Amino acid sequence: MFETFAEVPAYPLVFPIFWGAFALLVVVIARRLRVFTAVRSGTQASDAQVGRRAWGVFRYTVLQTKMFRWSRAGAVHYVMFLGSTILLIGNINIVTGGLVQAVLSWPLEGVLWVLAVAVQNVIAVGVLFSLVYLFKRRLIDRPVRLTLGRPGLLVLVMISLVVSTEFFAQAFEVATYGDIEGAIVANALAVPLQSLGEAITHDAFVILWWSHVVVLAVFLLYIPTNKHFHVYTVFVNVWFRKLAPRGELPSMDLEDETATFGLKTLQDLGWKDLLDGFTCTECGRCQEACPAFNTGKPLNPKAMIMGIRVMSESAERTTDIIPNSPIVRDTYGLDDTRVSAAALGQPIVDSAISYDAVWDCVTCGACVEACPVLIEHVDKIVGLRRNLVLEESRFPAEMSSAFRSMENQGNPWGQPASSRLDWTKPLAFEVPTVASIAAEGRLDELEVLYWVGCAAAFDTRNQKVARAVATCLHAAGVRFAVLGQEESCTGDPARRMGNDYVFQMLAMGNVETLDRYGMGERTIVTACPHCFNTIGNEYGQLGGNYKIVHHSTFLAGLVSSGRLATLPEEAGSTTGDHRPGSVTVHDSCYLARYNNVIAAPRDVLGAAGVSITEMEKSGKNTFCCGAGGGHMWMEETRGTRINEARTQQVLATGAETVATSCPFCMVMMSDGLAAADGGSTVNAMDISEVLAARIAAVPAERQLPVL
Amino acid sequence: MRIVVLVKPVPDPASAGERLDADARLDRASVPAVVNGNDEFALEAALKLIATAGEGEITLLSMAPTSAPETLRKGLAMGAHRGVHVTDPALVGSCAVSTATVLAAALRKLEYDMVFAGIEASDGIGGIVPAAVAAHLGLPFMSYAAAIEPDMAARTVQVRRISPTGYDLLEAPMPALIAGTQALGEPRYPSLKGIMAARNKEIVTWSLADIGLDAGSVGTAVATTTVLDIRMPPARAATEIVRGTPAEGAGRIVDFLVERRII
Repeated sequence: MFETFAEVPAYPLVFPIFWGAFALLVVVIARRLRVFTAVRSGTQASDAQVGRRAWGVFRYTVLQTKMFRWSRAGAVHYVMFLGSTILLIGNINIVTGGLVQAVLSWPLEGVLWVLAVAVQNVIAVGVLFSLVYLFKRRLIDRPVRLTLGRPGLLVLVMISLVVSTEFFAQAFEVATYGDIEGAIVANALAVPLQSLGEAITHDAFVILWWSHVVVLAVFLLYIPTNKHFHVYTVFVNVWFRKLAPRGELPSMDLEDETATFGLKTLQDLGWKDLLDGFTCTECGRCQEACPAFNTGKPLNPKAMIMGIRVMSESAERTTDIIPNSPIVRDTYGLDDTRVSAAALGQPIVDSAISYDAVWDCVTCGACVEACPVLIEHVDKIVGLRRNLVLEESRFPAEMSSAFRSMENQGNPWGQPASSRLDWTKPLAFEVPTVASIAAEGRLDELEVLYWVGCAAAFDTRNQKVARAVATCLHAAGVRFAVLGQEESCTGDPARRMGNDYVFQMLAMGNVETLDRYGMGERTIVTACPHCFNTIGNEYGQLGGNYKIVHHSTFLAGLVSSGRLATLPEEAGSTTGDHRPGSVTVHDSCYLARYNNVIAAPRDVLGAAGVSITEMEKSGKNTFCCGAGGGHMWMEETRGTRINEARTQQVLATGAETVATSCPFCMVMMSDGLAAADGGSTVNAMDISEVLAARIAAVPAERQLPVL
Repeated sequence: MRIVVLVKPVPDPASAGERLDADARLDRASVPAVVNGNDEFALEAALKLIATAGEGEITLLSMAPTSAPETLRKGLAMGAHRGVHVTDPALVGSCAVSTATVLAAALRKLEYDMVFAGIEASDGIGGIVPAAVAAHLGLPFMSYAAAIEPDMAARTVQVRRISPTGYDLLEAPMPALIAGTQALGEPRYPSLKGIMAARNKEIVTWSLADIGLDAGSVGTAVATTTVLDIRMPPARAATEIVRGTPAEGAGRIVDFLVERRII
């Protein structure tokens, strides 16, 4: 029996030790996760996108693409990941009486097993070196983003013990019994060890070998109690990740009178939200990316996720061994009086996250983008806001007027709808409304609807942007029109401030208007990434499906298709406006990060012949201007100002102009530059303004009739 | 504790689109209607009193055109219990005197310990209706209330009235009519549960006959005031934002005030 381990005294004891621990592990995990049965079944759709989900698991857990954005930590983590996976071969072999070895030795005269032994030997050395780096990080470097504490260190100690005992047991085994085929490192190491004498090497081998088994069993049981649990849960967490567009917040049924609106307690969360908590590795990449945290505000996305885990744990201690789900209760006629309603019913706000922190979030999604294990933070924060707004009417006072303005005037600025077309007045050409075109029965001739958005309609600075967009469209002979007074706010700010009631009211009105003019079959162009995201990704929830493109994409298309010609480099500008000079690009969160539109704004700038100096945080890793999530209408009382932090990043590039592609970014960057020390000479310009200044005269024969 | 709050649907002051029609009457179709701001402060004070007392009923009373229930629902969503809407074709063109007559007649049919009203409405800015209603009914009238403290056992109510130099502390027996200002506190934003509950709350509609008034005693025919002319105020000059250090800013502001001989 068990020839493979003939040298190991009392080998069969492995079975009760390891498999006993394993059985206990199953119970520990089951206990830990049974709180899942006490919460909502979850918001994740039971879609059948198996292919996408499987690819995601491969990409994020096997290739770990998100980890490599932090190159050194990513590489070391990968060695640890490979180590724990590859060393599993030997460990499974040990606890199955040599089954793996028997199977792998069968084909090709045992080459596979020899190879496996060799690879394990090499990776074990890699792991031991990586551990030195990891200990140094936790004990000496101590980066701010990490949660430093005993559990993290204990995990490192246990990994060190598991790997070193196995590795050195093998070295002493070789020293005592002769070379093992494939164990290249152990074989070499055994040569000097032989001088110790066979008695010592034998005893050392036995002690180390058994220590390895015992430490392995203990480590196995320790894993589910701390951040290392992610090695089990990450696969499930990635599989069940949100597949809907990142910018689409969960839909809400406002007619359900029995429902809790938004998230109040643990029970309102889905089990996937709790799994997010258990999967959190406390790495703090979210915290490092968060603009609110970086400007000294109470919000820390990591602390919220860890807080949800702590809440789950304390609720779990009060949960019965038999799952306390409605189904189980009904089927077995159990009553739930033994469950502590207090733990499950405790509000999340002010336990996992402070009230202030809930309102600090700019919903920029930097945390979600940074998270290597695909935790979803923003949807939870908005869920908490929904509950505070819709059920408790508890929110910063200044939001009231934005809500009322959106409700009554259809825009957060509280401007009358009658002034929606004021921006067109200085233009040399007429901008028709869809209503007027429809009245003339010429709706079929319409090429695109220009969705102006409230900011461009009412904010003086952004009115100039609207004129630049219209000028570009006009010069390219695009037959476009606007909704004028019939346009209202898309509802994005209301939704992200938690007021889904106002969002749905506005959205349904817009869907009705757009459908009345058959805009489902046409292209909508907008210069506002928030309108773009909401109409494109969220109106589907209310039955409105539209093809909407951001003006960067549309203008880039006009240039590349030759419809819009730009002046040669050396020519002066047509409008006499300020030349942008060297430019840096400030990416909008809702454009770049949420909707992956990154190249188009640069293409437009390229067409205008300017050179771009990139900021460190750009593209998907852009840093919010500070206006997202309704913060355009909220006071920023805590910490320093986010737009000023971003302005410093702009100034650091030495560029003469910062190019924006979002009206909120425009306001925040303009304010930030004006407030910078001594007032900055750097200008904020929309990409369309940069382009409009470089339009060449359009040949008469190519000029299409302008409606 | 039974409180009646007088509320008036007014054109949303934030919309800036308020217009009069050819008869110099408000063009109600041109702007969305909201509950008059001062009335909301009064309603908020009533809601807080009832929450503190743990019992009570708030009735909204409004004399308004047929579209009023839509606006009254906003007050019901904040937490008022029911609405009474007095409307009648004969009421078209009523002046403040007619309004006070009608509201007083309606109040005679209601039971209450206190009547709350906003100090004035943001559209007409007459500011006499609350006092006139109190005079009709012979109720104690306390205006410019910044705080209201009823004592149900003693059946008295104390009011802190804003005066040019501070506060007056007034006390009156119940029932009393109190006109309040924004000093009563920011009105709550209705919760979704409140909005849903408001859909099923009762709004009774009374005609002039229901409150025992003769159609000839109110309306255009007996109006005591006439609008002769209206004009938009001149546009304000652009805002100037002063940037720089606090010292520079202070210097600029002083220069600005000196230029205009304000200091």
